[in-house]
Amino acid sequence: MYRYDEFDHAVVRERVEEFADQVARRASGALTEDEFKPLRLMNGVYLQLHAYMLRVAIPYGTFNSRQMRRLAHIARTYDKGYGHFTTRTNIQYNWPALTDLPAILSDLAEVEMHAIQTSGNCIRNVTTDVFAGAAEDEIEDPRPWCEIIRQWSTIHPEFSFLPRKFKIAVIGAEKDRAAIRTHDVGLQIVKGDDGGTAFRVFVGGGQGRLPHIGQEIASAVPAADLLAYLTAILRAWNLLGRRDNIHKARIKILVASLGIDAFREEVDRHYATLRREDLRIPEDEAERIKAYFAPPPFEDLPKVSAPFDRALLADPDFARFARNNVRRHRQAGYASVVVSLKPVGGVPGDITADQMEAVADLAERYSFDELRAAYEQNLVLPHVRLDDVPAVWRALRQAGLATANADLATDVIACPGLDYCSLANARSIPVAQALSKRLADLDYQEKLGPVRINMSGCINACGHHHVGHIGVLGVDRKGEEYYQITVGGSPDEQAALGDIVGKSLPSEEVAPAIQRTLDRYLQIRAEGERFIDTVRRVGPEPFRDAIYETLDAANA
Amino acid sequence: MLQTLEGIQNGLRLSVTTPLEEVEAAAAAEDVLVLEFDAFRDGRGFSLAAVLRERGYRGQLIAAGKVLPDQARHLRRSGFDAVELAPGADRAAWARMDQAFSAAYQPAVDPDPSIWRRRRAAANDRDLDALADRLNRETAGKGAAEIVKAALDPALGLKVGAISSFGAESAVLLDVVAREKADVPVVFLETGQHFLQTLSYRTQLTRALGLTDVRLVTPDAEEKATLDARDDLWKTDADACCDLRKVRPLARATAGFDALITGRKRYQASTRADLRPFEVLDGVLRINPLAEWTGDDVEAWLDARDLPRHPLVEQGYRSIGCWPCTRAVDDGEDARAGRWSGMDKVECGIHLGKRKAA
Repeated sequence: MYRYDEFDHAVVRERVEEFADQVARRASGALTEDEFKPLRLMNGVYLQLHAYMLRVAIPYGTFNSRQMRRLAHIARTYDKGYGHFTTRTNIQYNWPALTDLPAILSDLAEVEMHAIQTSGNCIRNVTTDVFAGAAEDEIEDPRPWCEIIRQWSTIHPEFSFLPRKFKIAVIGAEKDRAAIRTHDVGLQIVKGDDGGTAFRVFVGGGQGRLPHIGQEIASAVPAADLLAYLTAILRAWNLLGRRDNIHKARIKILVASLGIDAFREEVDRHYATLRREDLRIPEDEAERIKAYFAPPPFEDLPKVSAPFDRALLADPDFARFARNNVRRHRQAGYASVVVSLKPVGGVPGDITADQMEAVADLAERYSFDELRAAYEQNLVLPHVRLDDVPAVWRALRQAGLATANADLATDVIACPGLDYCSLANARSIPVAQALSKRLADLDYQEKLGPVRINMSGCINACGHHHVGHIGVLGVDRKGEEYYQITVGGSPDEQAALGDIVGKSLPSEEVAPAIQRTLDRYLQIRAEGERFIDTVRRVGPEPFRDAIYETLDAANA
Repeated sequence: MLQTLEGIQNGLRLSVTTPLEEVEAAAAAEDVLVLEFDAFRDGRGFSLAAVLRERGYRGQLIAAGKVLPDQARHLRRSGFDAVELAPGADRAAWARMDQAFSAAYQPAVDPDPSIWRRRRAAANDRDLDALADRLNRETAGKGAAEIVKAALDPALGLKVGAISSFGAESAVLLDVVAREKADVPVVFLETGQHFLQTLSYRTQLTRALGLTDVRLVTPDAEEKATLDARDDLWKTDADACCDLRKVRPLARATAGFDALITGRKRYQASTRADLRPFEVLDGVLRINPLAEWTGDDVEAWLDARDLPRHPLVEQGYRSIGCWPCTRAVDDGEDARAGRWSGMDKVECGIHLGKRKAA
């Protein structure tokens, strides 16, 4: 993975000093709260319901054991002993004291981490495929490009005061495991006409109040011109995007109002006059960065592993874990292991300091010191020898991290909701917990197969409810927390927004209604059909009936 | 640095909410354009400035209205020259925030090299450092001819030139080089202040050694007109004069070279006591074939090869530069004691590494 050189270290160190200067000017009154707010946000510092919150970037979700241990140290020293992994592959601390922030940022800088641009109206942390560098179907590892975009976008002189936030996701395979079409810009690596690396570019995706699926704006931008093209897109939006209404400021609104063709023309006009030569990524710099992401020194191993196979036979719990949480790897004899942060009745994405250290130990010992954060709020050990998977599983079980539910019904994405967040209308954590308890039976979940259930506590959609196969949105109905259900959303290469099935439900009705939806699927599914396939085939109607049948019966 | 200007500035004033096309059309006829920010959060001004600059606007760009000191470098790097501040504004905060970062990743409108370019220069230096170390090892104990031959080895793929002052000892280096390869480009800094004897010696020596590519490099006419129109800058600021007439012209003339051969020797000055045959300066390999030579070695070579002497040597000049800053020396003095005599200066700067990383 990428390592800082003297320049990277200097930028992060100087950023901490700059922030200290800003905090001092806020304290002296030289900066008003209104002026200070965007500056602190661009350093990841939020004011939440009860306290300040610090959001730390895990660039493109890749980190190592030393960094994870430092995250544990911060959780223990400055917070209440835990952290929360988000759908942006960041980690949030909910209880730091404002006066501790400079110390935390310095601690992070020591291990090549920061909180730069994890919030604010700027270019945010770039996200990618959690299995990058391990997936079989990848044509190129997207992470070097993520790192190039990270550097280019860091403290950008032109794009630090944008109309609204801007999120970029990059994938290196046809299969979309990073939900790129829900991002302001989604990039897919393809082969250009000359056989070189190029990017298929989607623009104007986004969730929130007015969700849109990204549209293709370019089919193959040559890699060397990527930054020039991104500059043209951002410039067009920075100049034309709305600033009069926060809810209509994202690029998706501009793209939708102009239409993709007119927006493309606008981008092309800028692209034609900007100094493309300056923005060309120097080839040796691209090579320098790529070298950091070279595959680790894999051993030549047979495809099958006797210890792995023996454990499958010996222990049904391990067999279940292997079925659900272990993913195929491009390298024979290796696998990627999903560490679920969704225990039964737990808070999705939460992890204690002790658990962080346990995962750090496993990464160091079994996964070439590499860890990944998934946007589904799980962790991944990307490169584990099949021979070692049983040992990894035993250690995870000891740490309470071996829930065998990756991509199953209880692998719920949920935002922090009204328990923490000042924007939320409703709580999402207790609803997710109730659902998790109700669907806890893993035999039942396995019978259901993969199904993505996503929950947001408000219309800002941090819990990705629009693109959940089943989505749950908290709404405020005359001071009461209610929940609106959608069905048929999808975050992947067949991205779609879910349909709202009917009027919203009180919190205690949510889990039973979802279970009825899933039961209906079991009744009507065709052979080999996943939940989302059935929804696509039959539409939302049968599920609407299932959701409201008891309510309708009660009202009849 | 972004200039801070107090009070309302003259010039066409436009709000950053003005559409780009209107700003462009209006700016075309203006020498000074003031872009007014209605709110510091409204970042349109940064894109407007960047687009204007990239499309060729050369006038002064001033930011005004609601801007924060924390945006100083955003403004500067997007193409603004100055910010208009209310009387009593905290200029120290503006200066501090402008310089809060020693480098930036991304190239922008400002001329400072981005981190990417600086990394490339640093990597180049590292490669050259390794090469210099290797060549120093390989040529240890060998003569000047072998050192020059090693540098000219086609396998290294270096673009090699030589620099010469055509001074008191220059004939030795040029002879060694010419015997290896007579068409090596030789750069002579035509400062406009040389002794006439130096100029005629240059012609004589070039012909005698058969050098085919001696290049005369003059100061930039515009720079010279601005800085030293009366040719007397040396009286008040010798460093600035050397910079104008030697350092900057050399940087321009040698931009395309990977390696430069010089005639410097350790014995000439304390600043040269650690000189090695191969070293790296400003991303260029410097080759000093005569580094270990003594004055006696030079004399012996000139005699043995029967090379023409600089006409001023017999008048007591033993190190020769421009006439205003060179005098003859007595027998007991260092050879270079006659250079910038009476000033705290022993080098003109071309061997000190002053070129900005680019």
